Amino acid sequence: MKMSEFKITNYIEQRNNDDQEWWVTQWMELINSYRFKKRLERAWNYAREGKVTSIQFEGRRVHGRVQGTEKKPYKVKLWLDVLDDENWEYVVEALANKAKWSAQLLAGVMPKDIENAFATTGKRLFPFNLQEIKSECTCPDQANPCKHVSAIFYLMGEQFRENPFILFQLRGRDKNRLLSDILQKRMSLEQENITIKETRNTNKTSLNNDGSNIQTTVRDINLWWSYTKNLDDDLVVITPAGKESVGPLIAGQLPLAKDPRFSNSHTNFIEHLISHAQTQGQKAMLQAMSVKHF
Amino acid sequence: MGLLHATWLRHCKECDGPGLFLWADTWKVAVPETSDSQSLIHPFTLSSPELTSWLKKKEICPEKSTKTTRFLTLPSKQLTKTTKKNSDSEKYVGKSRREFLPLQAGENISQSFQLSEWEVEGMILTPFEATKWLSQLPLRNKHSYIGEEVLWWAHFQRWTLKLIANGSWLPQAEQNAEEESTTRARWIPLLNQENERNRLEEFIKTMPLVINCAVPLLKKSKEFEFSQTTRTEPELRDDPMESWCRSNKRVEVVHILEEIIDVQLRNDFQPNSTELDPLLSNWEKALGSKSRIIDISNEDAQRLIQASKNWKRGLSANLRSGKVCFKLIAPINDNEEWALEFFLQAEADPKERIPAAEVWKSGSNILNLNHIQIEQPVEILLEGLGRALTIFPTIERGLEKPKPTSMKLSAQEAFVFIKTASIKLRDIGIGVILPKSLSHGLANRLGITIKAELRENSKGIQLGESLDWSWSLMIGGKSLTIKELEKLAEKNNPLLNHKGTWIELRPNDLKNAKKFYTNPPQLNLFEAFSLSKIEGNTLLKLPVHQFKAGPRLQHVLKQYHHQTEPEPIKAPNGFHGKLRHYQERGLGWLYFLHRFNQGACLADDMGLGKTIELLAFIQHLKVQNELTKPILLVTPTSVLTNWQREASIFTPELSILEHYGPTRATKNTILEKSLKKIDIVITSYGLAQKDVKLLKNIKWQGVVIDEAQTIKNPKTKQSLAIREISENLTSNQLRIALTGTPIENRISEIWALMNFLNPTVLGKEDFFNQRYKLPIENYGDISSLKDLKSRVSPFILRRLKTDQSIISDLPQKIEKEEWINLTQEQEFLYKKTVEKSLNEISSTPINQKHGKTLGLLVRLKQICNHPALALKEKHIDEHFLERSKKLQRLQEILDEILESNEKAILFTQFAEWGHLLQTYFEKQWDTKIPFLYGGTSKNNRQEMIDRFQQDPRGPNIFLLSLKAGGLGLNLTRAKHVVHIDRWWNPAIENQATDRAYRIGQTQSVIVHKFITTGSIEERIHQMISNKTMLSENIIESGEQWLQTLSVEALRKLVTLDTNVEEF
Repeated sequence: MKMSEFKITNYIEQRNNDDQEWWVTQWMELINSYRFKKRLERAWNYAREGKVTSIQFEGRRVHGRVQGTEKKPYKVKLWLDVLDDENWEYVVEALANKAKWSAQLLAGVMPKDIENAFATTGKRLFPFNLQEIKSECTCPDQANPCKHVSAIFYLMGEQFRENPFILFQLRGRDKNRLLSDILQKRMSLEQENITIKETRNTNKTSLNNDGSNIQTTVRDINLWWSYTKNLDDDLVVITPAGKESVGPLIAGQLPLAKDPRFSNSHTNFIEHLISHAQTQGQKAMLQAMSVKHF
Repeated sequence: MGLLHATWLRHCKECDGPGLFLWADTWKVAVPETSDSQSLIHPFTLSSPELTSWLKKKEICPEKSTKTTRFLTLPSKQLTKTTKKNSDSEKYVGKSRREFLPLQAGENISQSFQLSEWEVEGMILTPFEATKWLSQLPLRNKHSYIGEEVLWWAHFQRWTLKLIANGSWLPQAEQNAEEESTTRARWIPLLNQENERNRLEEFIKTMPLVINCAVPLLKKSKEFEFSQTTRTEPELRDDPMESWCRSNKRVEVVHILEEIIDVQLRNDFQPNSTELDPLLSNWEKALGSKSRIIDISNEDAQRLIQASKNWKRGLSANLRSGKVCFKLIAPINDNEEWALEFFLQAEADPKERIPAAEVWKSGSNILNLNHIQIEQPVEILLEGLGRALTIFPTIERGLEKPKPTSMKLSAQEAFVFIKTASIKLRDIGIGVILPKSLSHGLANRLGITIKAELRENSKGIQLGESLDWSWSLMIGGKSLTIKELEKLAEKNNPLLNHKGTWIELRPNDLKNAKKFYTNPPQLNLFEAFSLSKIEGNTLLKLPVHQFKAGPRLQHVLKQYHHQTEPEPIKAPNGFHGKLRHYQERGLGWLYFLHRFNQGACLADDMGLGKTIELLAFIQHLKVQNELTKPILLVTPTSVLTNWQREASIFTPELSILEHYGPTRATKNTILEKSLKKIDIVITSYGLAQKDVKLLKNIKWQGVVIDEAQTIKNPKTKQSLAIREISENLTSNQLRIALTGTPIENRISEIWALMNFLNPTVLGKEDFFNQRYKLPIENYGDISSLKDLKSRVSPFILRRLKTDQSIISDLPQKIEKEEWINLTQEQEFLYKKTVEKSLNEISSTPINQKHGKTLGLLVRLKQICNHPALALKEKHIDEHFLERSKKLQRLQEILDEILESNEKAILFTQFAEWGHLLQTYFEKQWDTKIPFLYGGTSKNNRQEMIDRFQQDPRGPNIFLLSLKAGGLGLNLTRAKHVVHIDRWWNPAIENQATDRAYRIGQTQSVIVHKFITTGSIEERIHQMISNKTMLSENIIESGEQWLQTLSVEALRKLVTLDTNVEEF
């Protein structure tokens, strides 16, 4: 099993070296803190071999099915301690008080100092250690977490990558509820008392219902047929850009959970897109040169 | 003469999706509807087969298309009741319900118009076929048959090619808009650069409405679309625009962009499922499939949609109507803090923005910024701030509060913001407003400002003469001393405030400045010409930001750059005639450039009298004792006679030698001998080429070429010969080109001309082609065009009849005589006819004499027109043009009229001649030329007139027979009247002329009259001009008076004057 061991560390190292989102890294570190490396290895193999047949977030719980030695897959359940409504009140208030947090969450980024928002409650968003993650498995194995549970652990890291809001969900608030709560809370907060230099007359901005303004402009017959612009300077000559500026590359890693059975899947996908970008770029250049000169 | 249109269809059965609908409108006479017809067929469009063959002829027929019809909502005009009674327009009306017509592009209307739906035939292209077809269309509109909105399409498609070439796209998964239960894979454009986002807004702003005129006029009319029985009346609304504006242009353009990016990337994509997990594999499959549908579970679909959205987020915002905007506010001093304020800004109009404070106040309500609706403003603001954080992490400090509105930045932070972050922020779709002092970014170009003046006592005549000049350093529009520069450099601050402008010094600035100080260069008048006009000049590595000329130098520069006209020169002594004011100015200009030894191209509009200006100029040189050697004047053969005549009238003192004909000097010594006391030598282009070795060795005062467009093609032998002769001139000899065509707009033709005039201005031909011709002609590159124009414009003077400064000088009717002679064939025929007929007539009884005389005169006039007419030939042979001098000149004039896109009516008294000309010209220019004569039916007659007067793309040339077309018609769109042959009675000619020159005419009309030198035509011309000979009696009796002529008198009248015929 040495080979798989190599792969695990390799996998994790690779993830750490990439510009890996910190919350995913933190989750992986949590798992790797597990003392029984052998079991972890086996769990990784389970995940990689596709033994996890399903993983679903249902409310505050994670339900997984892992194909073990028996015919029927084992059912795995995972959950965290949830915060009660009162505690969520505090968290929402803290989040609403700092625009940065909602800004980042809306932009799909988990704020690094998110735990500060939970500080007043004495609770945490991230589990501090593995013991905080509650789990049940239908397998006969006495150890907890068993390898089936651990396999789910691995895959959850990928899920976080895809959607950082899952953690909130496990703590008792899904994305939509959380965001609307924050929004409402913010509205109730006092407006900062500052002088606004640029104010505008709100009456002015209201939509002109009779549309009279629009009408007069469009009544100009020329808008129907007329286009007198010259070609923009930078569309005159079209040359393909270098590989390093194509969309699929600069967009970075695909924020989608990786399927451990296909460890190169994302890389292959993106490389395929990049090569498509290159051939299409060449083709577009040739096509741009094919303008007929009458 | 149709006009091609392209309309986007959001959904069509033919493509099972969107498509591009091509159709064309054209001039037709609307046929009255049959009484049971209820269709609303657009009366002015080409049918599908017509469209196909027309496009094939134009070589732009798409490879694959589907013939079909569509209902298009188009602006239409209501015909007023009064027009209905008018019999002329009855055909438009047909019956009472058809009281309106669709408007055509370019049609002039003053009243308001209405919208109605018209059924139009055309062809549909799938989006992919459309991209292929659009990619090969010309990118500038030089073809009158391509609608302007098709050019919009061509530009738009070229933009998508650029996006694809840049790899500016990303695959996405999204919920299917049509079928919500499914998920589609899409290739979407990635507008992750500010200029691309601006370009999108520009395309939205400039999109002609005809592009989405396939949208039904009213929602409910959709129901009617396929049930014709309910469509008895078209939907006419008094207030048609409202619904149109509601259908958002922005949504439409984004939709089009996404569709045509998608089809192009999808077409060649080969899904590759090896080594892919099932989810990505299915996504890939769908990205390469026609259906686009991703075959995955609902749950996975949600994950994929979310993930692809997040993937894109870091690069580009969704194309929503609003975005976050940062406004940077500079401190007064460079060591104080800067402020950064937060706003929400409308994507379509950056001027529309509101402060963050008001966004927080609004809660989650929809915000309206002057008609622009922004939904979920708080979310847009927060999300934008979150994305801004990844680019400019400093903002984090400003987002500690719940409802932040602004923050402070240190100078160092502000520098980073200005230098790098602002660009990246704009690229990901976040607005940035910099202080005015920074609106062009940081001023970081240290350059110089120059003050220069002519030396004392100098009049600015020599190009190489040195100037008195001083200079100082300048950055960001503010000057600074070298001491100030040193002080600033010492501060070592990234952002420096110099006299209220924010600047950044570059590493070598101080060094370059010091170098300039220790060793400043010389400056002469020639350099001043270019420094004062062309931007981006540098002197010793320092850019020249400003060039200030002292008053005397300014005076010279302004004249040079046409900003003020050189002092006009009055008609010189010995010039018999009057110069109009603009001609005096032209004379001054010719003399001004001559002073600087620069070649000049006088390109005034036809009819403004270039010949006279040039003759006056040469006379002026003679009077000034500057004419010491002869000037070589090269002209097309067809105008040799004209030059000769005009010179003898206006400048009789100039002695002229024609170098033409078989008796011309062929040896250098003989030619030189004959040049003594000669002022002008006239020759033809043909002979200039033939005798180039002879001519180039003569010491000329200069070379003038008339109809200079003749040398436009630099490879032709004539062009080479002319330039060879001009090359051999010593440097201070005059070179003048005359042309009536808009030469400065014809890029490929300008090189040869400038090479003749001033070879250094545009350099070698290869360089010119690479630098100017290719970018401008093929892609319409405007900056190259501007640069080219600023280089050549000092040497070209073109004034139009319509110029304000000209119009007051011009009479409303300009009579222009075109003197020509005969070809050998014409001359032979003419002489033979005269001899034979005179003999016959002398032996004819009196009562038959009149008929014979008349017959002779008619035949002679026919010979002057063309031998083919006199010989009753029915077909055009391949030497048709060569056989008549009159035809050659006529074609040159018409060429010039067509070039300027003006219109002309042509009169002849011979219907057969009209037919021959019609056939010949239609072949020559590949266009329809109407001919109205006695045999034209009444309906056709009216159609021809309507087309000429009303069709926006109607014919430019209209042939009429003098008898049938001389009366009653209104042809005021014509700016030229051409009398190809002469009529005894000037009143008849004038009546014909008045077809164009009448009420409704707003511009000057030029009347061209052809006169064959020495022939019967010249005699007629003399008789008409000499009023005493024309008694009332003659005018009334037409040609009756000829009866009274004796044979001798007749002989005098018709015999060819061979004295004039020698050359």
